[in-house]
Amino acid sequence: MSEIALPLEQISVRRPSVVKTVLKRATPFLFLAPALLLVLFWVYRPLVETFALSTKQWNMNPNVEPINVGLDNFRYIFTHPDFLQAVLNTAIYILAMLPFSVIIPMILAIVTNNLSNRAKNIYRALFFLPMIMPPVAISAVWRWLMHPVNGLINSILIKMGLIEEGIRFLSDENMVLFSIVIIAGWKMIGFSTLMFSAGLTGIDKSYYEAASVDGHRRWKQTLSITIPLLSPTIMLMIMMSVLMTAQWTFAYIDVLTQGGPAGASTNVYYLLWTYGFKNFNSGLSAAAAVVFFIGFGLLALLFTRLTRKIAFYDN
Amino acid sequence: MELQMEPTAPAAKQKRLRWGTGGKHLLLILLCLFAIFPIYWMVISSFKGAGEIFNNSLLPSSWSLENYTYAMEAIDIVGMTANTLVMALSQTILQLCTAVMAAYALTRWDFAGSKLIYALFSLTWLVPFQAIMIPNYTTIVGMGFRDSLMGVIVPNMASAFAILSLYPSFKSFPKALIEAGVMDKMSACGVLFKLILPNIKSSIVSLGILLFINSWNDYFWPALIISQGQTTLQLGLRSFMSAELTSWGPLMAASVLASLPILILYLIIQKQVIQSFVKWGIK
Repeated sequence: MSEIALPLEQISVRRPSVVKTVLKRATPFLFLAPALLLVLFWVYRPLVETFALSTKQWNMNPNVEPINVGLDNFRYIFTHPDFLQAVLNTAIYILAMLPFSVIIPMILAIVTNNLSNRAKNIYRALFFLPMIMPPVAISAVWRWLMHPVNGLINSILIKMGLIEEGIRFLSDENMVLFSIVIIAGWKMIGFSTLMFSAGLTGIDKSYYEAASVDGHRRWKQTLSITIPLLSPTIMLMIMMSVLMTAQWTFAYIDVLTQGGPAGASTNVYYLLWTYGFKNFNSGLSAAAAVVFFIGFGLLALLFTRLTRKIAFYDN
Repeated sequence: MELQMEPTAPAAKQKRLRWGTGGKHLLLILLCLFAIFPIYWMVISSFKGAGEIFNNSLLPSSWSLENYTYAMEAIDIVGMTANTLVMALSQTILQLCTAVMAAYALTRWDFAGSKLIYALFSLTWLVPFQAIMIPNYTTIVGMGFRDSLMGVIVPNMASAFAILSLYPSFKSFPKALIEAGVMDKMSACGVLFKLILPNIKSSIVSLGILLFINSWNDYFWPALIISQGQTTLQLGLRSFMSAELTSWGPLMAASVLASLPILILYLIIQKQVIQSFVKWGIK
């Protein structure tokens, strides 16, 4: 832009005053200022403060000075089972979520790719709905559906003779994690299917024509053409699942189980809340936040590297 | 083998195709049933009277509003709806304004630091909300915004996500048109308001829908800030849930009311809602 602005100024009679030049230089920053200052103040400032807080002990009372404890917080979290349990749970959450966010949606999108647009639009409107529903309202209805005594799922299973007494979906420590995944997965599955469909519509049809001339079978086409061409979407959705599952499950953990029973359903982000606002130990929460921030940051870096290497871009 | 098959091949192919399409529809119908059923259950149960709430029928035998009157008496739904609307609308509008200005600045001018600033915005998605909630919480308390909508809105006035989403629309706006505008002595604001914005209206509206839905559904930050007073719908519903552990009928009615504006929005413009999620989700 400045290349064009410069000759124009030269044409316009006199050389510009200092005030004008300064104003011109400042224009982009004037437009940027609100967003930039807000993001710096509400995202990066607190991030720096969290790093600082990770070596302190503080109960968040403004009248109490934080005490310096060095690396004690880190020593504490790495030697206490609740931290390890949260990390392990998160790993299970991520793995259990992949069928809902990647595998089933991808298969559905590929299999139903060449349906008419009208039919697709109707299905879309229906299976997308969970994505926009408020998590608290969702929690209310799922809590009822999964209720051990008067929930619909249990009464159907009992009627079918599959079980004799209701499954405690949200209070059995072996069940609770998967119950939460079902709810979070239910919310994501339609959206993910749509993402894969969008990825598929970008694929050039001529690849398939070339392949059918070569006499490739359908499933072979899928393996040799569709999957590689879909690889950017696949990598994106896997990365999103890995990085965001702890976030996607957070609301249901908070509303339905509070991490229980006995920490069986907690995850890394819920642990931060527990440390901070239940135990009022903000230093511990900050130390764990630093560990997770770095951990997920490294994972993100790994994924972007991997995507560049693996994903096949059709340029 | 191949040659022998030839005469019957078209018929077989057609048969397979027909079965194939039927199978595809079946798969999608199953997915739709799975997706819709809990929401359907929530809605129809909210109209069931106390007598039939546990009979698991798919339709109430008589439609009753008693759950709604119960829920409205138990919590101040009208007031909470007003609070939630104020919160969601002001966040949406402020986020759109700051994002439009920032995306405009980043795409129109080349200046030192523009790459760094773009990186700063795009790296925010690596910063989880829970990692910064304690400093932000103490800041809001220090500002005296506890228990008020201000405290909820102030940290959410700008959204890096909104900026990054608008960036491509601004980037793809033809430079030649901007230059023509400058020739016509249009100011920087003039170019933005008279040239660019009218042309990317649809992107801004669809982003606005997404931002509105997100703020409407948000409950966790409001829950930290507001413990009494200016409660939002999601917060009210959550405390109603823990107070009325198994009053399923009223609970479903309250859930319907807490989702109502979103459901209405979806009924009217579901195509745009879906598009905006797919569009911004992809990037």
